[in-house]
Amino acid sequence: MRAVLRASAPILVIALAACGTDPAPEPTEQIIVREPGAATVPVVEAEDSLLAVGKAAFNTCIACHGIEKGGANKVGPNLYGIIGQAAGAAEGFSYSEALASSGITWTKEELDSYIANPAAKVPGTTMMAGAITDAGRREAIIAYIDAVSAN
Amino acid sequence: MGKWTRRAFIGAGVAAGGALVVGIAVRPGNPIDRLSPLVAKGEGEKLINAWVKIDADNIVTAIVPHVEMGQGIFTSLAQMLADELDADWSKVRILEAPADAKYSSSHIGREFLAPNLEVPEILEPTVSGSFLSLATAMTLQITGGSFSIRGTGQRAMRTAGAAAREMLVAAAAKEWNVPAGELRTENSMILHDKSSKSATFANFAAAAAEQSLPAKPKLKSPKDYKLMGKAIARTDIPEKSNGSAIFGIDADLPGMKYAAVKAAPVVGATIEAIDAAAAKTMPGVLQILNMGDFVAVVADGYWQAEQALATVQATYSKTEGDELDQDALFTRYATMLDEAGETDGDVETEEGDVGKAFASAATKVEAEYKVPFLAHATMEPMNCTAWVRDGKCDVWSGTQSPLMARKAAAETTGIDIDNVAYHNAYLGGGFGRRSEMDVIIMSTRIAMATKYPVKMIWSREEDTMQDHYRPSATSRFQGGLDKDGKAVSWSNIHTHLFDPQEAPTVPYYNIANHKIRKIDVPTHLRFGPWRSVDHSQHGYFIESFVDEMAHAAGKDGYAFRRELLAGSPRHLKVLDTAAKMSGWDNPLPEGHGRGIAFVPSFGTIVAEVAEVDMTGKKPKVTKVYVAADPGFAVNPDGFAAQMESSVAYGLTAALYGEISVKDGAVQQSNFHDYPILRINEMPDVVVEIINGDHKRLGGAGEPGLPPLAPAVTNAIFAATGNRVRELPLSKVNFA
Amino acid sequence: MITLNVNGQAKEVDVDPATPILWVVRENLKMTGTKFGCGVALCGACTVHVDGKPVRSCSTPVSEADGKAITTIEGLAEEDGTFSKVQQAWVDEQVAQCGYCQSGQIMTATALLKNNPNPSDEQIDAAMAGNICRCGTYVRIRKAIKVAAGNATETQEA
Repeated sequence: MRAVLRASAPILVIALAACGTDPAPEPTEQIIVREPGAATVPVVEAEDSLLAVGKAAFNTCIACHGIEKGGANKVGPNLYGIIGQAAGAAEGFSYSEALASSGITWTKEELDSYIANPAAKVPGTTMMAGAITDAGRREAIIAYIDAVSAN
Repeated sequence: MGKWTRRAFIGAGVAAGGALVVGIAVRPGNPIDRLSPLVAKGEGEKLINAWVKIDADNIVTAIVPHVEMGQGIFTSLAQMLADELDADWSKVRILEAPADAKYSSSHIGREFLAPNLEVPEILEPTVSGSFLSLATAMTLQITGGSFSIRGTGQRAMRTAGAAAREMLVAAAAKEWNVPAGELRTENSMILHDKSSKSATFANFAAAAAEQSLPAKPKLKSPKDYKLMGKAIARTDIPEKSNGSAIFGIDADLPGMKYAAVKAAPVVGATIEAIDAAAAKTMPGVLQILNMGDFVAVVADGYWQAEQALATVQATYSKTEGDELDQDALFTRYATMLDEAGETDGDVETEEGDVGKAFASAATKVEAEYKVPFLAHATMEPMNCTAWVRDGKCDVWSGTQSPLMARKAAAETTGIDIDNVAYHNAYLGGGFGRRSEMDVIIMSTRIAMATKYPVKMIWSREEDTMQDHYRPSATSRFQGGLDKDGKAVSWSNIHTHLFDPQEAPTVPYYNIANHKIRKIDVPTHLRFGPWRSVDHSQHGYFIESFVDEMAHAAGKDGYAFRRELLAGSPRHLKVLDTAAKMSGWDNPLPEGHGRGIAFVPSFGTIVAEVAEVDMTGKKPKVTKVYVAADPGFAVNPDGFAAQMESSVAYGLTAALYGEISVKDGAVQQSNFHDYPILRINEMPDVVVEIINGDHKRLGGAGEPGLPPLAPAVTNAIFAATGNRVRELPLSKVNFA
Repeated sequence: MITLNVNGQAKEVDVDPATPILWVVRENLKMTGTKFGCGVALCGACTVHVDGKPVRSCSTPVSEADGKAITTIEGLAEEDGTFSKVQQAWVDEQVAQCGYCQSGQIMTATALLKNNPNPSDEQIDAAMAGNICRCGTYVRIRKAIKVAAGNATETQEA
């Protein structure tokens, strides 16, 4: 509401008004990958292998689920090594009662049916979004998680 | 408010805010002329004074020097002007004032730079004038402090409307050759009943602009209000109901690109190096920037930018702040309070002899309260769009301080302010956060590097972790009661980071001996104004302690406060109203409790009663009764909406609000760990407005918040005997 | 290239199929009525309909809309701009304050009333609990939903 109320701020603002300031310094480092309008630099050929599709598809999941080994839980639990785990097992994550007591073990089949429609498979789950209706995409995502977890 | 003297009105417009502009509206060559091109765009449009313009279609445009962030002031300020002008409301349009120094708000400067200054009326213009100059120099053109109506509305909008009306009447009187007293105005028309002549305002707009400004435009008294006091529908609600309203985040320019940013998690740290190897290969990426204090990735789309940013590894410098965690923070406060002892600290107010009174009190009460940092969590995350090229700069955002934004962009780029344009939009929530310039500056810096327009959007995580928080605080009290349970002493020492200065004081409570001290505590976290500012914590501290004293006196919270307010009928009426609304004496079912709290702030007196159901695992607030006296509610529905809003905002904070620190960084990031009240937790809210003084208006945006938390915790005590001295309630095990 | 059906119109967009619907709608189609609030499906500001069902577009890849109909806030009103029943109730009850969350609120409420034309208070709260409002317009949202359902008297305008 008024930055001026901080002890230092009024002086700062008045000083700015009175004598002007130097413009902002240059960036410490500026990496120009391409100019607007130029094609994206193709570093790798576009692959349609299952893992490549899965990795790209996982970008939708990544806002809520980390996948690095030992990575932190975010809005959703970290999924490293999830295949074969009991549901509700990621340490430190606050699961819904429904999921924690579901008794599910995350085989690929169980994961597949869950991702298809989380709220239907586990009513009360806090996974509010992220359903994937296409079976092929689900298969790719699961394959990707499996591959990452193997490292 | 003071009287207008001739000097105050016309002499360089040295009265606050609008008077400056009105005062010089018609003299050729004076600064208002410079404004005309900014505002009067169409042929036949005349700028009568800078607050109102009338075009050839008899449309009145109210120029509102404040921003719309949900408080409805676009509508209510226009209501005030249109009422005094006698304009046809259906032909009133609203324009947000351009970011120009002539619209700066001196009221807020005055109130906060020299609070409680008693100025003899004859000196008012000078004092206000000096504050206006200061305000202009400080580039204040701010919306906040709950003052749009009570400051600008009351002083500028109404005066402008009344002045314009008188000038129109003078022009018509001249043309029709009749005494001005025989003319009346109604619905944007001037009428001379004697000769059945009538004409639209537009007809006389040009001539009116040549009339001399009235020295003392007469303002209406409440019995003549036609629009003020009415629940007029807000003009911006339809576009907010069909997705067409444009917020800062919706800016769109040809060739615009998008930036995602991440600042160093510990404030004060710098980014020593970045590893952008993966980001360089990701789709849509244009640039990766290490700006020293934050990393930015610019891409064809925001999602692409955010995906790429997530892969950038940064190493940060070490700072002293790295050591700080939540326990250390409160230990620091406790240590500094201990060290201040009985005598040190800055005295904010003192009367009588608390030491003596407390020592000899029949009953002694002591308590310590704590509250954490709080985030603003506006629904619209921080964002700003900027374009810097060829010695020009354009910036788009939603800010509470458009002129400050323009100046910040000018200073950041080094471009002369005349070549810098700032374009404001609706704000998806302000609450004080959008009065800060950090976002404007960051965005401008990115645009300087790219030279094409870039929209910078903060993720919710960044928004939560890089806020300017409502400060955390600890407050200690000692209260003494005599043998009749009457309060005889009140001693308070609290940690302090911010203002307004009157927040910890209780001049309305009749306690003979009181002493309030503060100690400034350093913190590396950024802090800033948060809805109701320091009233938000002091309201909780004070009203909790009053309740504890009441309990120690064997009286209920309402009765005890009645005694304390005995000498102030206006305050008492608000308290009594809240109690009556809530049916204070009616018994509640087992496990339910009622709590009352009373906080005057920003010129408005508010009392709230909360009803809490403690029969479940967590507290459930079922009802909140709000009695409020804002002097006069210009738009009663808008005022009630602000009370409902403050209850929700305050309840989120009371139930859940906690920003905690670990290793110097904020731990919370999104709504899973910084929960917000949802509809299923919202109590019923009943609001009653008391128009206690139509000459001294109070604010609407903030006053409903400070009483909420203590009303709730006092209710919890009434239901369970459990006194909560630390917020949020989610930390307490009520099982 | 992906062809989407948005508010009854075919739109072609050249995007990665993993791109959330939210950003395709806002940036490729320049329809800014749907808002970004949290990016993790916790606030509801991004709510659109896919085949009439409310979804959080920030967390739903555009591949999910393949062969389906997307409805955004812009698609609720009639072609001549006449507000839907829910939108009109929102205006009549003066629901919005800052307005940023309201597109999402209206989309969720619209879907609720389509499935359940006569919801109880508990059903309203349950259906709307996914949509956060920071300005606290909840009391008026409840009222507006009831008005739209034809179950409450409208507030008298002064």
